[in-house]
Amino acid sequence: MSVIATPARQSTGGISARTVNRIVIYGLLALFALFYLMPLFVMLVTSFKTMDEIQNGNMLALPQAPTFEPWLKAWGEACVGLTCAGIKGYFWNSIKMVVPAVLISTLLGALNGYVLTKWRFRGHTLVFGLMLFACFIPFQSVLLPMATILGSLGRFGVTLRNATGLSFGLGNPTVNLVFVHVVYGLGFTTLFFRNYYEAFPTELVKAAQVDGASFFQIFRRIMLPNSMPIFVVTVIYQFTNIWNDFLFASAYAGTGDAMPMTVALNNVVNTSTGVVEYNVNMAAAMIAALPTLLVYVVAGRYFVRGLMAGAVKG
Amino acid sequence: MAFLEIDGLRKRFGSVEILKGIDVDLEKGGFLVLVGPSGCGKSTLLNTIAGLETITEGEIRVDGRTINDLHPSKRDIAMVFQSYALYPNMTVAGNIAFGMEMRGVPAQERQKAIDKVAKVLQIGHLLQRKPSQLSGGQRQRVAMGRALVRDPKLFLFDEPLSNLDAKLRVDMRIEIKRLHATTGTTIVYVTHDQIEAMTLATKIAVMRDGEVQQFGTPAEIYNNPTNLFVADFMGSPAMNLIPATIGGNGNALSVVLQREAREPISLPLADAPTGLSAFHDRPIIFGVRPEALTDPEGAERNASNIATADCHIEVVEPAGSDTFAVTNLGGKAVVARLRADANIQPGTSTPLAFNLTKAVFFDPATENRIL
Amino acid sequence: MTTVTTQIKLTPEHGARPDVSMRSRLQDALPKIVLAPSFAITIVFVYGFILWTVYLSFTNSKTFPSYTLTGPRAYQRLWRWTFESDPPSSWYTSITNMGIFGFLYIFICLALGLFLAILLDQKIRGEGVLRPIYLYPMALSFIVTGVAWKWFLDPGLGLEQTLHQWGWTSFHFDWIKNKDFVIYTVVIAGVWQASGFIMAMFLAGLRGIDGEIMKAAQIDGATTFQLYRRIVIPLLRPVFLSAFIVLAHLAIKSYDLVVALTSGGPGGSAWLPSNFMYEYTFKRNEMAVGSASAVIMLMTITAIIVPYLYSELRERPR
Repeated sequence: MSVIATPARQSTGGISARTVNRIVIYGLLALFALFYLMPLFVMLVTSFKTMDEIQNGNMLALPQAPTFEPWLKAWGEACVGLTCAGIKGYFWNSIKMVVPAVLISTLLGALNGYVLTKWRFRGHTLVFGLMLFACFIPFQSVLLPMATILGSLGRFGVTLRNATGLSFGLGNPTVNLVFVHVVYGLGFTTLFFRNYYEAFPTELVKAAQVDGASFFQIFRRIMLPNSMPIFVVTVIYQFTNIWNDFLFASAYAGTGDAMPMTVALNNVVNTSTGVVEYNVNMAAAMIAALPTLLVYVVAGRYFVRGLMAGAVKG
Repeated sequence: MAFLEIDGLRKRFGSVEILKGIDVDLEKGGFLVLVGPSGCGKSTLLNTIAGLETITEGEIRVDGRTINDLHPSKRDIAMVFQSYALYPNMTVAGNIAFGMEMRGVPAQERQKAIDKVAKVLQIGHLLQRKPSQLSGGQRQRVAMGRALVRDPKLFLFDEPLSNLDAKLRVDMRIEIKRLHATTGTTIVYVTHDQIEAMTLATKIAVMRDGEVQQFGTPAEIYNNPTNLFVADFMGSPAMNLIPATIGGNGNALSVVLQREAREPISLPLADAPTGLSAFHDRPIIFGVRPEALTDPEGAERNASNIATADCHIEVVEPAGSDTFAVTNLGGKAVVARLRADANIQPGTSTPLAFNLTKAVFFDPATENRIL
Repeated sequence: MTTVTTQIKLTPEHGARPDVSMRSRLQDALPKIVLAPSFAITIVFVYGFILWTVYLSFTNSKTFPSYTLTGPRAYQRLWRWTFESDPPSSWYTSITNMGIFGFLYIFICLALGLFLAILLDQKIRGEGVLRPIYLYPMALSFIVTGVAWKWFLDPGLGLEQTLHQWGWTSFHFDWIKNKDFVIYTVVIAGVWQASGFIMAMFLAGLRGIDGEIMKAAQIDGATTFQLYRRIVIPLLRPVFLSAFIVLAHLAIKSYDLVVALTSGGPGGSAWLPSNFMYEYTFKRNEMAVGSASAVIMLMTITAIIVPYLYSELRERPR
């Protein structure tokens, strides 16, 4: 939509009503930009200040003697609970959890979307509806049973390891989280791909069938090569969601070495021993935010489209 | 035995019957056009021949072999789609070769086949491009190339020209006709455009609501439509279908056409169809094509039964090659086709010649032709 | 996957051989086979688990699940707590907070989002810079958001301290430490995080409106204000609905924000039902009560989402 601004009324004085209008609009927009930027700005400058400066200086002032010390400390020395080895281990935990979870759920979503649009069967809407509703449930309503199941799988893993020497990942908190995120991410990835493939010309599939391509050949040769945009959207959406998750992380890997970044950050910030090192906290928060911020900066367009696809169907 | 035989074909989606018992056959090397308004089931019928949709009842045979349950790729068919359905991620060459690749044809042979087809369709210079870099006409050619390269028993075309502009459509129509003539393949072609049907077909099946209304050669369909629907659907401008009554007596029947504020016209019929005598003094629908309603000088010389009557001309449309005049008979606008230089003015009365040898009559109750 | 046949001409005999029909039947079933694992996972891990949770809420499970049904005792307790306002029960605090938070969060996000979208739609120079600034908080986790705002709102370090240094010594803002106001800080941080996204939704909606309608309205003599009130905003109805759904389900799911921003607030005064559920289930060893609260949360969201999904999926028949 192109808005045609109110035509400038006949101005008698020096400044027309239109100019005043524009000044007000830009002023408001700038004010809100400040509102959105302020917390990030404060976090950023604080993370480069010494503790001295924080206690005696102004929150909004730029660091007088910028130091990387807090970042290094957050990365390598900060205390998470009782262990003081920084958050680097937890950062890698998150990576190890996010990458497989994103890949698996995206691929399954693509297959599901393909079946639900191009190989329809009686009741396909119901199947999709049931999967879609799963996106919206409060995860509290599945938290406990999942904990129970993961617990018994873990015990089974121990038995298995005692018997065979291998546990096949059963009981490993990272594997558990990958599983949980795949299960509860399927609804979203299926939604994305279904909506994308819904608009994908069915004649292409028919042509490929006449050409003799099988179910999987059509998927691999025709659908996937033409799915780049929705792949990017889905991967970004899943990456952001899983990286930022706190509920599952704290419930299934809330303690110990396997905890993901979000839980570790919360522990760093809430560690009550000794003096609270705000600059280290802020640096840790920045590190936790960096991957998703980076994705946002690099692929903002797709990021927004992903969020929208999750919100508005069709 | 015909090459393509369709027997008692039915297709149901739940309780809705899309195809209600289709019986059609086609000789080898024939060109069958399925024509009808949208939603008549013509595309569904084509898809069942292709194997892209299952059938509920009946049988489809190609060259004596039943193909009902075969996968599309095993039916030895090729199909050209309305949207062309070119794979956007592959080059033109890749598109043409995809079917062979799926069948495991070695690369060398594929290349040879591509080159041959590219030569026939003159698309050699496009082979390395992606579909998005082609014009509409070029895409159409590539889609045909993809079908041709298969050298199938049966070609299926699903409204292949409907996405082209008017001029290109005429060019491609001629191209398809030439291709059919030179390769001698058997073609089933779906369109809603009756001109395409008339120009291309050796056989036409006019369809409505999942039923074949009439099946025959283009000339049969045009000259001897079996019912009102076919008469109205085929031909452009459409046949004039005028409510009328049968007058006269005994052997000398005549058609009586009512006019507004003037005495009716009575046209004597020389050799009326035998069934018409039963309609004496009863309403019928009188069908006359615009080219059978002309100025007296332009009337066909050797027609045996021509009647002339004064008509009040309401609108005159000079179309270049012809001049169309609109008059009102039986409460309907009736189009006459005059010579281009016919001197005629709207608002005046002019004698028009009815070529009654070409006229057809329908029963308004059953909508069927009176024979 | 099928084996690729190299034959081009097919054998002419009638009827399909048995192995062929077997394979083609497998081909026909393949799509369903591919979809089946995902569907089964959903049925078991979503719907099965929901039923499991419902079952647990009717037992007397404490630290560990117990499977003896003891009737709706957990619900009776929640019901009793619902009216226990002085001193407030945790449940009372949670649901009142949910009401305050839900209403303010959704309302402010919608209003602010629409307002910013309309401002940005006035052919603004630098829209490309402003839009990502408004939107980036959505990329951050609730935990990071919470940490940032916790610092910003801390009376001793953040805004209050800064204004004191600038000479406004009477300024007082300690909501984050005040049990009556702590929930409003959650609203502030929540709005900060999501309103930019709502803005993007409205902006997309605005850009999707047919420009000719706008021109027609202008020729009819509508002022800019009338244009928006009478034409544009009514046309944005579907966006309002989608935005409402998104916000409602974010609001009910909000858990991390409360934890990171307030650690639950003084005496649990910032709890939402999601925090209540977590605390009762995992910390206070009242699993049955926790499950019952989860069921209530689920029913609330179901009441909002199901009609929406139903209409969305029904509107587009094949």
